[in-house]
Amino acid sequence: MSLKIAIVGCGKIADAHVEEIRKIPSVHLSAVCDLEPVMAEQLAVRYSVPQWYSDVARMLDVEKPDVLHITTPPQSHLALTCQAVAAGCHVFLEKPVALHHCDAEAIITTALAARRKLAVNYWPRFEAPALELRRLQETGVLGSPVHVESYTGYDLQGEFGMSFRRDLDHWVHRLPGKLFHNMMDHVLNKITPFLPDDHPFIQTIAYRGGKGVIETGSAEILDELRVMIRGERTSAYATFCAHARPVGQTLRVYGTKNTAHVDYTARTVVLERKQAFPSALGRLFPPFLTAKDYLRQGLKNVNRFSHSRFHFFDGMRRLLEEFYLSIDQDLEPPIAYAEILRVTAMMESIFEQVYPEVRP
Amino acid sequence: MKVLVTGAGGFLGTSAVERLLSHGHQDIRCFLRDRGKAERLLALQESYPGAQLELCFGNLRSKADCARAVADVSLVIHLAAALKGAAAEIFADSVVASRNLLEALEARGNMPIEKTRVVLVSSFGVYGVVALGRGARIDESTPLETHPELRDTYSYSKLMQEQLFRDHQQKAGFELVVLRPGVIYGPGGGAISNRVGLQIGPVFFHLGGRNLLPLSYVVNCAEAIVVTAIQPDSAGQVYNVHDDNLPTAARYLREYKKQVKRIRSIRLPYFVTRMLAHRLEIYHYYSQGQLPAILTRYKVAAAWGGSRFDNAKLHALGWQPLVATNDAMAKSFAYLRKLDDQS
Repeated sequence: MSLKIAIVGCGKIADAHVEEIRKIPSVHLSAVCDLEPVMAEQLAVRYSVPQWYSDVARMLDVEKPDVLHITTPPQSHLALTCQAVAAGCHVFLEKPVALHHCDAEAIITTALAARRKLAVNYWPRFEAPALELRRLQETGVLGSPVHVESYTGYDLQGEFGMSFRRDLDHWVHRLPGKLFHNMMDHVLNKITPFLPDDHPFIQTIAYRGGKGVIETGSAEILDELRVMIRGERTSAYATFCAHARPVGQTLRVYGTKNTAHVDYTARTVVLERKQAFPSALGRLFPPFLTAKDYLRQGLKNVNRFSHSRFHFFDGMRRLLEEFYLSIDQDLEPPIAYAEILRVTAMMESIFEQVYPEVRP
Repeated sequence: MKVLVTGAGGFLGTSAVERLLSHGHQDIRCFLRDRGKAERLLALQESYPGAQLELCFGNLRSKADCARAVADVSLVIHLAAALKGAAAEIFADSVVASRNLLEALEARGNMPIEKTRVVLVSSFGVYGVVALGRGARIDESTPLETHPELRDTYSYSKLMQEQLFRDHQQKAGFELVVLRPGVIYGPGGGAISNRVGLQIGPVFFHLGGRNLLPLSYVVNCAEAIVVTAIQPDSAGQVYNVHDDNLPTAARYLREYKKQVKRIRSIRLPYFVTRMLAHRLEIYHYYSQGQLPAILTRYKVAAAWGGSRFDNAKLHALGWQPLVATNDAMAKSFAYLRKLDDQS
């Protein structure tokens, strides 16, 4: 496999794409592009990328990449995907996929029609603990999923939070779901593997949780979101929380046999098992079993660290490897298109409840 | 003469506005992004009731906001810049924002561009000190950095920003003055510069040793901005800005511990720092960036290579520090002490 990669969109997240692409020896990054030449140049210089462009059509024409990473704001994803696919490229899309569910459908239809492959950067799904959770589910350790709780914390004082708070023209403010729109992919795409319903019942509560946003003049931005989802067999809670500390990402899957707790920040998966002993003895053992699980997870992390597999975006590297392999060997892409569409449909339903005025 | 100060709500910006007022400039447009930072400017307005301080809120990433900012001004003091954050944000806030400002300035129909003066506040970070070797003397003729990719993002962004201003000056013909301050400090500023050392976890690694610290007290720096902005001879010139009687990093740290608070510090000699940086570089390469290369031999040589400094050119223009270094350090430490007591 020897794929030629290009990136369009040289904002913050492009750094992560460049770093993860460079870790994959069988592909090479040939060019980066941004409408703003300064942004394209700085990224190319900092990472020694051979070429930079400010015109994507020209980059596609000259470089003829096999894969185009689209890391622009979602407002341009549909048009850029069409342009990339027309130029013969496979597409790796940064989240959020699009402004509306219908745009996401158009993106996927376009890729399918041109027999090009497409993946969305749902990288936490490919983190080591997420893969372990998948194994627990597939081997029947959890039993059938009854309920799922997906929690994502957010730091409004962090690099990403500050950039949109300072800039009232920031593209996040123009998304139909505003701040939630930029984050809910990661909250919901952890739920969809356990909740296969196309049209689940969704009930949403959103509110502003602190004074921090008001100070910068963007008082209309809501920053706390609670979603209750009910499918035919499984229910779920999705939580986006900007004010609780520590800022974390967790997933709890309640199965008919056991319950799994995944901590994406600490990179651990711990099982909560049925009591094996009766009465007080049954209550005596679980903390020790949980401690043993954590010790085992800690040692696994040490092993990953010692093998240089403990980077922040390690899941993105794994996702990219699978995506590039699917292109090279004409396999199914790593994330099913139907699942991407279930995420965008749920997002649209949530945003319609939070911001009813922005229906497509 | 209407003066525009970008970044007017910032640490240096507010002092620059105060110095402009004290030099008799009455008509100042203060451009700032964050409404929360207007308080000190409003206090200045009360101290100078005869002056017109126009608060102009906006973001220089917006071309429309830039057009509002430059309307009818004949002197621009450009201080707005990103000091930290993600690389893309730093370049957008320092370089793209500067380009928007310059284009707005050049697009004005009612003001002759050649009679407009632009003062850019850049940084010592643009100098290519590594190529000069240990102990080199830095003045305005020192060559600029040729390997920005090996330096920190801030230095690279300032280098790109300066190049942008020079390109636009040649094309449009406005008067350009470039200032390159060292470490700006004082009440409202940060505690200890990286040139003294790095705080890693609970321990402060003292890396500066006996190197001179190119301190520029915020009021003295603001005074330098105003002096260079109003002197006709400064057009087309570059000035290094730092105070006289510079302390060593070791002395600064000693005084900090005495006057602010005790901190646990470990002194690392230059050769040890370089050796550690080399190990970190190797590990960073081997692990594909699992730990960030916060120290590299190049960065170590640039920050702690024992450069010496020269502000003779600024003095020759008539600038004198308003606050002596010892007094400035005492004021800065008193502020930090108070801050520490409050926390």
